[in-house]
Amino acid sequence: MAEVVNVRLLKAGDKLQVSHGATVVVVSNPLDGVWIFARYLASPEDPSLEGTEDMIFAQDIIEVLEISGD
Amino acid sequence: MATKTKGRFVNGLVDMKAGKISREIFVNEEIYAEEQEQVFTRAWLFIGHESQVPKPGDYFVSGMGEESVILCRDREGALHVFLNSCRHRGMKVCRYDEGNTPVFTCPYHGWSYATDGKLVGVPFFKDAYHEKLDKSKWGLVEVAQMEVYKGSIWATWDPAAPPFTEYLGDFKMFFDLSLEAWNGTDEPLEVIGGVQKWLIPCNWKFPAENFSGDSYHNISHRSVDMVGIGPSGTGRRDTQERADSRRLQVSFPDRGHQTGIYVLPGGSPTAASYQQSPEVADYFREAEEKRRAIKGEWGRVTGSPGEIFPNTALHPRQPRSIAVWHPRGAHQTEVWRWYLVDAGAPYAVKDFLRQYYIRYSGPGGLTEQDDMENWNYAHSASRGTIARRHPYSYEQGMGSEQTNFELDGLKIPGTVMDLTEAKSSEQNLRNFYKRWAEFMDAPSWDELADWR
Repeated sequence: MAEVVNVRLLKAGDKLQVSHGATVVVVSNPLDGVWIFARYLASPEDPSLEGTEDMIFAQDIIEVLEISGD
Repeated sequence: MATKTKGRFVNGLVDMKAGKISREIFVNEEIYAEEQEQVFTRAWLFIGHESQVPKPGDYFVSGMGEESVILCRDREGALHVFLNSCRHRGMKVCRYDEGNTPVFTCPYHGWSYATDGKLVGVPFFKDAYHEKLDKSKWGLVEVAQMEVYKGSIWATWDPAAPPFTEYLGDFKMFFDLSLEAWNGTDEPLEVIGGVQKWLIPCNWKFPAENFSGDSYHNISHRSVDMVGIGPSGTGRRDTQERADSRRLQVSFPDRGHQTGIYVLPGGSPTAASYQQSPEVADYFREAEEKRRAIKGEWGRVTGSPGEIFPNTALHPRQPRSIAVWHPRGAHQTEVWRWYLVDAGAPYAVKDFLRQYYIRYSGPGGLTEQDDMENWNYAHSASRGTIARRHPYSYEQGMGSEQTNFELDGLKIPGTVMDLTEAKSSEQNLRNFYKRWAEFMDAPSWDELADWR
């Protein structure tokens, strides 16, 4: 089982693998432990999402790909 | 409603012709449940103060009757009041007292709402809902009407209620005594020190009645006067101008609002106050001089406790605060008290007032403790089978009220009782319960707004 991502620790610039094979970069974190605001970097199933911003649900986050430098 | 002479409550359980009120309206749980519908879903209720939510994203969790509501300022700067309950399964979407946030997220299933109330986050929207849920229909429930009046924020669930200033009627000029700066201008006030919240084991109408103008109970505060908690170390206030003033009760029968006031004779100066602290004394002397200059004859009026129907209490002068009596069942009230100061006052003045305010009011305030003890035991001693058979007396001063009252050229609107010699009257209390009974009997605002 993949390690559970603590979404409260995510910060702007972190790159994430999310469901449906998409990758996103964190734009901001409301710190509610449930959602993050992110921008799609890649979305093979729906390329029209690339470059758009959306709210990403915590359970849709599969893993942290890259932690941004401060 | 003024034309209605008899109902279950009007001249029934609330018999104002005889000056008697049944104890049932305080202790009966069915009447309490009815009251939530008839009074608290229809009246305008105090929510908070603008100074509590100055920036986009700021929120303050308040209450309307038994409902938890969120006062918040959205990203565009607009104020909203929402029911604090997720549209999916009802969980509170905000469990903090106040703060700043971009979204209100339900911790149960994760629905998330923007600060304008729109549903913006639905977990598994694509996979489980197949993007078919119409998010635009599932935003937070917003109040029917909200108004900001001189920094105070009010709301009602009833779209048919009159606008707030019409709801106030001529009581507005008395409410202004609580909302204007000490110098009588619209310079901003601010809430100091957070909001005090505590529970009292009594029906909410006991404190509402008390602040409507029950000065008969002053004997209860004699010990506080002896201790001398006032700003000058004597009594419980520092309002020497009252010695020279006419002491009046003012009430508005068609609205249910009432207050006490003091009116100085024409040409009389306001006595100095806060004499033990030179900086505070100077601040109030300058403010009072300006207030008297810009208010003209109305400047002769100073405030005393009052009540905006149904459950907002005013304490305009010393200490300056606004309280809400939130109903928490027939036998319990949750008090919330806001303390107000001039936002531009020097720190020393604010701190002096803060210390005086909490010495006087709130759960640790000596004066409020006296009151709570009375309400607590009056309520518990009224719950028994035998006790409930015997009504309370509200006969004091019946028939002595006046209209078109004038004092040295200053006309006072509303129904006036001159207490200067009478010392006490229950006219304001009768006014409160008369309006309460009208709300309980009336099917809609068509009957309640009969001044139209």
